[in-house]
Amino acid sequence: MSVTLRGRRRRDGRLGARNHVLVLPSVVCANQTATLIGSEPGAVAVVHQHGCGQVGDDVAHTERAFLGSATNPNVGAVVVVSLGCETIQGRRLARLIERGGQRVAFVGIQQLGGTFKTVDHGRLAVGRLRAELEADGLVEAGLEELVLGIAADGATRAVRELAEAARIAGASVVLAVPEGARGDWEGAPVIGYGQAAAAGISVVEQAGEGTEQHLALAGAGAQVIVSLRGPGRAPQGFATGPVLAVAGDPGIYAALEDDFDLDGSSAGAEDVWRRVISVFNGEQTASEKRGARDFVLHRIARTM
Amino acid sequence: MEQLTGYPRPDGRWGVRNHVLVLPLHSAASLAAERSAEGLAGAASVGHQWEGIEGDPDQERIASTLAGFAANPNCFATVLIGIRREDTAIAKAAVRRGGRIHLVAMADHRGTAGTVAAVRPLLERLLAEASLTQRRPMPISGLVLGLECGGSDALSGITANPALGVASDLLVAAGGTSILAETPELIGAEHLLAARAATPEVGRRVLEVITGFESAIRDLGVDVRGAQPTPGNQAGGLTTIEEKSLGAAKKGGDAPVAGVLGFAQPPERPGLQIMDTPGHDIEQMVGMVAGGANLAAFTTGRGTPTGSAITPVLKIATNTAIYRRLEGDIDLNAGAILDGEESLESMGRLIYRRLLEVAAGELTSSERRGNREFAISRTVSPMTAFSG
Repeated sequence: MSVTLRGRRRRDGRLGARNHVLVLPSVVCANQTATLIGSEPGAVAVVHQHGCGQVGDDVAHTERAFLGSATNPNVGAVVVVSLGCETIQGRRLARLIERGGQRVAFVGIQQLGGTFKTVDHGRLAVGRLRAELEADGLVEAGLEELVLGIAADGATRAVRELAEAARIAGASVVLAVPEGARGDWEGAPVIGYGQAAAAGISVVEQAGEGTEQHLALAGAGAQVIVSLRGPGRAPQGFATGPVLAVAGDPGIYAALEDDFDLDGSSAGAEDVWRRVISVFNGEQTASEKRGARDFVLHRIARTM
Repeated sequence: MEQLTGYPRPDGRWGVRNHVLVLPLHSAASLAAERSAEGLAGAASVGHQWEGIEGDPDQERIASTLAGFAANPNCFATVLIGIRREDTAIAKAAVRRGGRIHLVAMADHRGTAGTVAAVRPLLERLLAEASLTQRRPMPISGLVLGLECGGSDALSGITANPALGVASDLLVAAGGTSILAETPELIGAEHLLAARAATPEVGRRVLEVITGFESAIRDLGVDVRGAQPTPGNQAGGLTTIEEKSLGAAKKGGDAPVAGVLGFAQPPERPGLQIMDTPGHDIEQMVGMVAGGANLAAFTTGRGTPTGSAITPVLKIATNTAIYRRLEGDIDLNAGAILDGEESLESMGRLIYRRLLEVAAGELTSSERRGNREFAISRTVSPMTAFSG
């Protein structure tokens, strides 16, 4: 079977399955301003709870998460919204994103003089970037350009079979599995948080657990994420990319059927893999349809 | 001054607002909470990222935060959205803390869309009921004021914080309650606060909480100065955490310290309280509101627009330049002290008067903008805890 992907060719050569303008607050204090900017058509604003009062390696870890989500190929441009006095300085973050090859605009609340002026500037930036995005043409490409992310609680059979199916088809696979629960992949190549996925199957380091893993996978360049949670776990999505939510048991599937894509007790690896391709090519997942904007940061130290 | 008014609650506490709150008990319920409240005047919602994964070492702290927030007296009623019908622990805790609680389980409605369809008519009914309750004369002792500073500069400890301290002393003298928090920003001022403790036991707790936070940070192998003062504080002229702390502690005025509270814990008696919270502006605000703060005052030198979904936050600038620059984001200008237009005393009285006006119903700038930042505060990084 000859299968092709259709996506946006980014300036760095990678292929995007979606074409989002991300509105990214560098600190929780800029959430409301980012949300107001994100009401502009074509923009996706995220909110999160951090960016300030952080210490040690935790600062770099959060910065890598921001950078990874901002440079994922599903995102064509970014508006960084900063307060000004935060630990993770928005202006520095915008520079890092630009250096990562991404289109970026910066707006700062303290610099521009308050919420409303910042919202005006931010909305104008969204409109301008939206127009620039059209330069990233729609192209057809082979499966070797697909990076599939798998978010899981452990190295279950379902995870192994899906990873294997994707690898055989020529895609790269990146796994987020808690340390100590990697099973067969204890010896697989490990990539650092924020580093690009290796060819074949690799495991991302310090990915956290639960929905935190989605950011780690986006940072490795995954265009489509499959969530293979254990029994009883509720489904979640990701702000700027499709997540195929596979239920861990028939009970939770029946209870939350509208928010899941597949029931893991009846869908096999081939069913999931087929859906991955159609989702890459534009089919919306349940989380995209309901408009979930999950964006959960993994922390490695307590807040000051 | 006009008589203070508010909403009496069945457990004896008072609200200064009459919100119907929608609060998710799980990250996966955040979208349903937001959609349910969308476009309904008087309904407020917040979102968060807690998944309640089994074995979470902060489970108890987070459950107490959510229960306390849901039970804040500024809420006429709160709708909690959980995943399963059996998960009732937080709802029961919120009822014990005086909240009027409805629990909706997403699993009974097949997911987000069905849950929103079920919650909206419930909200409409609660909002109609809430609109029938009227403000009544309220004693000052019904006020629980959260004190906060964020985006501090070198003037914070000279203008806005000591003026807010004057206001806090006036409130405490009138029988009200004030909460001083942000433990890391009290490091260096612990001896001064302990000396003001109402009892030796409270004094011991003051020292315990502040030095405990310091050693927890030291155990991480990081220097407090990595995060404190923040880059913005330093640009604002603050050089050390001690300097920042001595200024931050002034928000509590000169009143005796009547009690020391754990994160999100309600005060047991009126007077000045110290609550053990991080310095993170949003985690601190959520902790105080979960502890029952029905009013808040927030001083800022660099300027910050944040607020709370259910508790009115009065923003006070430390300097005239930032007050003018962030027009519309800040309510009061304590820079007037430096400009020679007000004394510390007169500014303190002005803040106190404005706080009473806000309590009586005047909207603050963050309420007008609809700011509703929310954050879950942890003491342990889950990764560190799970890997032993």
